[in-house]
Amino acid sequence: MSRLELEGLSHGYGETPVLQGLTLAAEAGALTALLGPSGCGKSTALRIAAGLLAPASGTVRIGGRDVTRIPPERRGAVMVFQSPHLFPKMSVAENVGFGLRMRRRPAAETARQVAAMLERTGLEGLGARRPAELSGGQAQRAALARALVLEPQVLLLDEPLSSLDAGLRSGMRALIRELQRETGTTTLVVTHDQAEAAALASHVALMLGGRIAQEGPPEEIYARPVSAEVARFFGAETFLPGHGRGTSFSSPVGPLALSAPAIGPGTLTIRPEAIRPGAGQNTLSARLVEAEFLGTATRLQLDVSGTILTALWRPAEAAGLSPGDIVQIHLPAENLWRLPSA
Amino acid sequence: MRPALVWLAAALLLLPLLPLIPWAFARGWFFPDLLPSRWSLAAWDYALSPAGGLLPALGVTTLIAALAATVSLALALPAARALGQRSFPGKGAMMLLVLAPVLVPGLAVTMGLQGLMTRAELTGTLAGVTLVHLIPVLPYATLLLAALFSGLDPDEEAQARSLGASPAAAFARVTLPALSPGLAAAWALGFLVSWSQYAPTLVAGAGQVQTLPLLLFAFLSSGRHDIAGAIGLVYLVPGLLVLALASRTLGRGLGASR
Amino acid sequence: MRRAPTLLLLAPVLLVLVPLFGGALLFGAARSLGHMPEIGMDGWSLAPWREVLTDPQTWRALALSLWIAAAATALSLVAGTALALGLARPFRGAGLARLLVQVNLTVPHLLAGAGVLLLLSQSGLAARGAAAFGWIDAPAEFPALVWDRAAAGTIAAYVVKEVPFVTLLALSTLASLGPGPVEAARTTGASRWQALRFVTLPALAPTLSAAGAITFAFAFGAYELPALLGASHPLALPVLAWQKETATSLTERPEAMALALMTAAVAAGLVGLVARARR
Repeated sequence: MSRLELEGLSHGYGETPVLQGLTLAAEAGALTALLGPSGCGKSTALRIAAGLLAPASGTVRIGGRDVTRIPPERRGAVMVFQSPHLFPKMSVAENVGFGLRMRRRPAAETARQVAAMLERTGLEGLGARRPAELSGGQAQRAALARALVLEPQVLLLDEPLSSLDAGLRSGMRALIRELQRETGTTTLVVTHDQAEAAALASHVALMLGGRIAQEGPPEEIYARPVSAEVARFFGAETFLPGHGRGTSFSSPVGPLALSAPAIGPGTLTIRPEAIRPGAGQNTLSARLVEAEFLGTATRLQLDVSGTILTALWRPAEAAGLSPGDIVQIHLPAENLWRLPSA
Repeated sequence: MRPALVWLAAALLLLPLLPLIPWAFARGWFFPDLLPSRWSLAAWDYALSPAGGLLPALGVTTLIAALAATVSLALALPAARALGQRSFPGKGAMMLLVLAPVLVPGLAVTMGLQGLMTRAELTGTLAGVTLVHLIPVLPYATLLLAALFSGLDPDEEAQARSLGASPAAAFARVTLPALSPGLAAAWALGFLVSWSQYAPTLVAGAGQVQTLPLLLFAFLSSGRHDIAGAIGLVYLVPGLLVLALASRTLGRGLGASR
Repeated sequence: MRRAPTLLLLAPVLLVLVPLFGGALLFGAARSLGHMPEIGMDGWSLAPWREVLTDPQTWRALALSLWIAAAATALSLVAGTALALGLARPFRGAGLARLLVQVNLTVPHLLAGAGVLLLLSQSGLAARGAAAFGWIDAPAEFPALVWDRAAAGTIAAYVVKEVPFVTLLALSTLASLGPGPVEAARTTGASRWQALRFVTLPALAPTLSAAGAITFAFAFGAYELPALLGASHPLALPVLAWQKETATSLTERPEAMALALMTAAVAAGLVGLVARARR
């Protein structure tokens, strides 16, 4: 159980900088998610943590020890890639035992540990198979087993669910959480999916443009984004610029009551599911522009005096509405979040 | 092209190989007979006799080709890794340098080397001929291996490193096994390229190094078509062998590694 | 992760190819200027080049080699492309047909030449076939396809060797293209020929120009096929070069080298032109 610290990491491919002074810590024994859109540099950060890439500047520390110049095989950090990368010419058991063999552990001990790990990852009886004979989910579990059997100080997972079909993801997610809790391994997961990050990790760091834009518990980032970019990444679509006058905010849709006082110019944001049908606090009259049935929810585009608000309602709440209808909606004050001015 | 025309084209392409067979087993085959009037192994007896020189030529050709292929593979492996998996300044120039010996006629290159070869006392030696065979073999080996390396996922090796393998162990246990069908193919290609050389052997061998193609040419131009037929059939074997193996083992191996 | 410097990886190939290939061109150039210290010729002179460039034999040889290379390249490209298009479509036995077409790839050039000689000479298998049909009575009545001034036999041998090469390259390009573009063209109203003309052939063009350049360079500069199958007048350029090299008079050796360098320059120059046109 060791804390992983990335401090001031910079890196670039050719002319384009990918990381610009990235600083991030994964707490000892916790599961931390590094979240960001594709191409934001999060995989690069993971590779630097694993020692597969040298940073242009910055420091990597594991358990307080500077490992920036330590080669990957002697770091105590093990990375699991997006695709399982099982070695095709070795059996599943040989794959899982690969790292132990590299560490020259006695064969008997290796065999025992491999068998135990195969059982824990639900792969018992598959040890003699070739990787090509495994399903996608089994291969991903074998890749995880191959890393965890080493009892690494730090486990680095690069998009561990993205190579799996949607149906297999929740099972794999549960397995990662369960194994992480049991072993207490410090784990850093890289993902581009905010729902996946929220479901997996107790601490999420959102990376935008080569540095951390916001970090904290997922609920916190979700409810209180520090910028419009962060809010957008977490699915917010409605932004209302205006002016705060104490507990009232003048906006393009009219004056809105706030739960906390605000003074001066600023921007309010509200999540689509927080815009509710019917009358209540901050009631507005809106014209329905478009309703899109998504299965578990209906997405509505609502026009309030020229400003479009996006709402997500239960299908029953939106039943019978058609474009052009005038509907009453309200924006509960506790769900209106004023973005901190930069 | 309709299938019938495809079959016809395939037959036409193979037609020139056909007369080698009757000639190799003919005893007197005169115009206008479509087939020899008498069959015999006389051509083989002569070719295999000391005067015919088939066996020593076969040995020399095989030895040179095996040496050239093996040396080329060893030299090409690191360069192919750089060309296949990295981008670096001057890569285009490097590719051009590797390609150039394939495109510039071997006769001109070997003739140009004569002064150097004479001074190094390599003219007319097995080592000298092997050395000049490297000029066409090394580019083919490098380019083929570079293509194989570029097809590998560098993350496989990175995964092994992250699991605790040293650079050498990762290469030996992950990259090399993934590459092995390709290495065999590259060796076979290198062998065949050397096996097929005529002009460089002619120039660098200076009459002292007698390979199969030189022997074949000699019997063809002296009108001994029967002995040429026998030598030609022997000369054909490695290529057919490689083709047969490539269409089975290598094909399967390469297919599985994808 | 530290890794081996790129230059270190390239070093083994560079250390072999640069001295051998570069040395050949450099020392070859010196030799063509009459500088052959190993046989006691220490001077420098433009005479060999003057001699070679003013000799009408040189220009006849150059013309013949250009003809051989151009004819062999054109025929190989047309036949190879047609064959690839035929093999790209599924039919019964397509796998076997592909294998048969590939056989000549592994056949050495000289062996293809030997086969052409035994097949097409005036007493060859083809002439015997003609006689069996009663079309000819004597070998001399069969057209001279070998040792002829038009180099038909030499060209035939190159075509037999290079058609499989062109076919294989074109087939792999067709495979990576997939049926999509042609299907898209057909549904938007292109006829089969229009699809070939405007979709397939443009997609094949880079492959075909590369294959054509390689074929041309090889057929232009290779020695053994024109030596085996060519007439004694005119000689192909590489054959003329080697003939001068092996002449009894030592003074002809620099001329031989000049001719060999000329061959190399034309072959490399053409490939350079094609490479530049493709950019």
